[in-house]
Amino acid sequence: MTYEIISIAALLLCLLIIGVEYIFHYRLAEQQDDNAVRIEGIRRRLKMRVEGVLFAPTASSRAAEITSLVKEINGDYEVYELAVEAMRDYREQSKDERVDRILEEVDEAAKPVELYAKMLEEGDVYHKSYACRRLADLDARDHIDALRRYVNDKNRDLAYNAAMGLARLGDVDTVADYLLSIQDDRMYSARIVNEFFDDFGGDREALAARLFESCNPYMRNTIIKAIAHYKIDAFRPMYLEGAVGDNLQDKIACVKALAAFGYPEDEQILQMAAKDRSWVIRASAVRGLSLLESRTALASVKRALGDREWWVRHAAADSIIKMNISPQDLEDILGGYDRFAADAVKNVLYRMIDNY
Amino acid sequence: MSFLNAVRSFIVVFNYFCMTFTIVLNLVYIVQLFVSFFRVRKDYDRHFSDDYLRYEDSENLMPISLIIPAYNEQENIVQNVRSLMKLNYPSFEIVVINDGSTDRTAELMVNSFHMSPIETSIRSQIPTRHIRKVYYSRKYPNLLFVDKDNGGKSDALNAGINISSYPLFTCLDADSRIEKDALLKLSLEFLKDSRTVVSGGLVRIANGSRIVNGELKGFTMPKKLVERFQIVEYYRSFLMGRVFWGATNSLLIVSGAFGLFRKQTVIDVGGYKTNTIGEDMEIVVRIHRYMRKNRKKYRISFNELAVCWTQGPMSIRDIRSQRRRWQIGLMDTLISHRGMTLNPRYGMVGLLSMPYNWIFELFGAVIETIGYFLVPFSLIMGELNMFFFVMYFLLAVLLGVILSEGSLVLEQYTHRAAMTARQSIEISVYAILENFGYRQMISVFRVEGIIKYRKLRKNWGKIKRKEFDQ
Repeated sequence: MTYEIISIAALLLCLLIIGVEYIFHYRLAEQQDDNAVRIEGIRRRLKMRVEGVLFAPTASSRAAEITSLVKEINGDYEVYELAVEAMRDYREQSKDERVDRILEEVDEAAKPVELYAKMLEEGDVYHKSYACRRLADLDARDHIDALRRYVNDKNRDLAYNAAMGLARLGDVDTVADYLLSIQDDRMYSARIVNEFFDDFGGDREALAARLFESCNPYMRNTIIKAIAHYKIDAFRPMYLEGAVGDNLQDKIACVKALAAFGYPEDEQILQMAAKDRSWVIRASAVRGLSLLESRTALASVKRALGDREWWVRHAAADSIIKMNISPQDLEDILGGYDRFAADAVKNVLYRMIDNY
Repeated sequence: MSFLNAVRSFIVVFNYFCMTFTIVLNLVYIVQLFVSFFRVRKDYDRHFSDDYLRYEDSENLMPISLIIPAYNEQENIVQNVRSLMKLNYPSFEIVVINDGSTDRTAELMVNSFHMSPIETSIRSQIPTRHIRKVYYSRKYPNLLFVDKDNGGKSDALNAGINISSYPLFTCLDADSRIEKDALLKLSLEFLKDSRTVVSGGLVRIANGSRIVNGELKGFTMPKKLVERFQIVEYYRSFLMGRVFWGATNSLLIVSGAFGLFRKQTVIDVGGYKTNTIGEDMEIVVRIHRYMRKNRKKYRISFNELAVCWTQGPMSIRDIRSQRRRWQIGLMDTLISHRGMTLNPRYGMVGLLSMPYNWIFELFGAVIETIGYFLVPFSLIMGELNMFFFVMYFLLAVLLGVILSEGSLVLEQYTHRAAMTARQSIEISVYAILENFGYRQMISVFRVEGIIKYRKLRKNWGKIKRKEFDQ
């Protein structure tokens, strides 16, 4: 009898769960339908409003249209973003530069910074994260303190987004502190450092200098590689020291950084690096040498075309056609005994010819 | 007499075993569903805060090589390459590998994209069959077409890895379409966590869906029952199963139709295994093995918001061929890496994921199928109580419906607006109906795969699929 009761109870439980699932499913599906209809309606209304703003004949009629648009937005960030998207789409299609100015006027009236500031205060961690980025996009420097509050949040995503926002706003100290706090966490890709430097709205040199003071060697080398293309002269002594040192990772980063400068006085170091045991160093050195105009640099790059490592040959082929190479030199390579060198150069030439 | 009694006892014991197995299996699935539910919700919210579209012009995303092995794909290849060219990703190249096709695949590629042969050196990091020619297009500089001797899908993928230039690559089926922003979403997995070596995307059944230039434009219920059942089945498999295994870093398979790999890791493990038809599972298991053995920190993730569409088979014959092949691939991989099973050295993969796949995915089909025949037989023989039989049957069906319906709820959480509420509810009817014939049929096909393992383990077969709208 117990078995029967248990079986029937189990069946009833299953039926109950299925019933709940169906109700849940139906409600979610309906919500989605409603949302799709709502968004469609908003888009339709926005289209009219945006057109009204864009094609208003006079300043006063535009002001009136903007007021209507702001009413339509009604403090809803989604509607605001749809309006901005519609205007940007028009800007892209029509190449009408007036749109940028009109967008500024809309921003003045709609006060999106307030929308996102409210989101930052009241939203869940995901909305807070989103708000951090948006506030930075809107250059909301008045809210830097609010963003700083979240840099040490225990939610990784929120902390990262807050720091990212601050990076755009150029806050050297907080961004440096954040990067130092994650320097031992290998989960963070080195690309995040690149991202921070690329988006940094302040003094990159100051940020790098602040980090170099106390970061670990891994972070230091990541930063050196990330800022290589900014060619910051203040760090050259450090690069020069690293490029001739014994530490492989330092050498890789520093040769890459020196190579980006393309200064003739670095040729000797780059020539030595082009003969290094590490192919990563050789490839970087070859790229650096290709920026120099000397015959000796050209000879080294030509020699690298026959390197035992594919990436070095690839880098050399890619670089040599950007150098001042004579037709005779080119002919020597293409008709030379080294098939890999010839193929690498041919491959680059095909692409180069197409670009003309 | 004693022999008959022994047979009877065996049947009774086996009946109980079947019933217990079915209930345990479904309970395991329910745990997966439960975990996946929270995971999908969290991922959706995280996806919002990631604001992936801001990366569409970013130089910080790693460039990707899209490798498309093609063997007799004249119907799909040009259309697929054209759709890939419209992908929203800052830097990518498309490498089409013609694996010795006997149809007009090569001719169509060369003519349609104005390609001409080039001489280029290939970095041979993984041995492959002979590469005859490499073609390049002036008009489409990010497209390469490689013509090679036939060596199978894995060999073609390996050739693609050798010739590709970028640090990440994705293998795509010539008859699938990836959504416009799918690469952006998937590559964020690598940006956000440097330990990521593989990331799998969600494969959805395209039958009935209108996909134009990588964007879902609408849905009409597919005509055939098997197509409708497959929609439910894919939701269950991907949204429930893969999300769960991805969350525990013990995902054993990343679909051959859509997965993003760190190239160096694949080269380190020796590339795709050429003598198997389950190469997509095998490579992932081998990566787990290599990384754990060498004590490297790594992550194999699954992103259910990065979507690839595939046309599901439309006939029972093709489904049979496909499921046999999947089962053979599973069996081949499990046998090849049997040393990982229950080996604590391989952590969750060895202790949980491998045994799960052996017990529930491989032998589960056998037990289920035997049960389909033995339980009614026992009932006829009078060895089983009628009440017990009905209860067992109803319980098995209801547990199945809980799982399928739960997956449809998960589907709603991924916020796909193409299906209306009405269509969504209509699809859920098939979550019930599939338990009356379809699931049983699939089990039989899987068992057939196990039986014919030796004979079919190197035979890919060809499935007829619907074409995508333009």
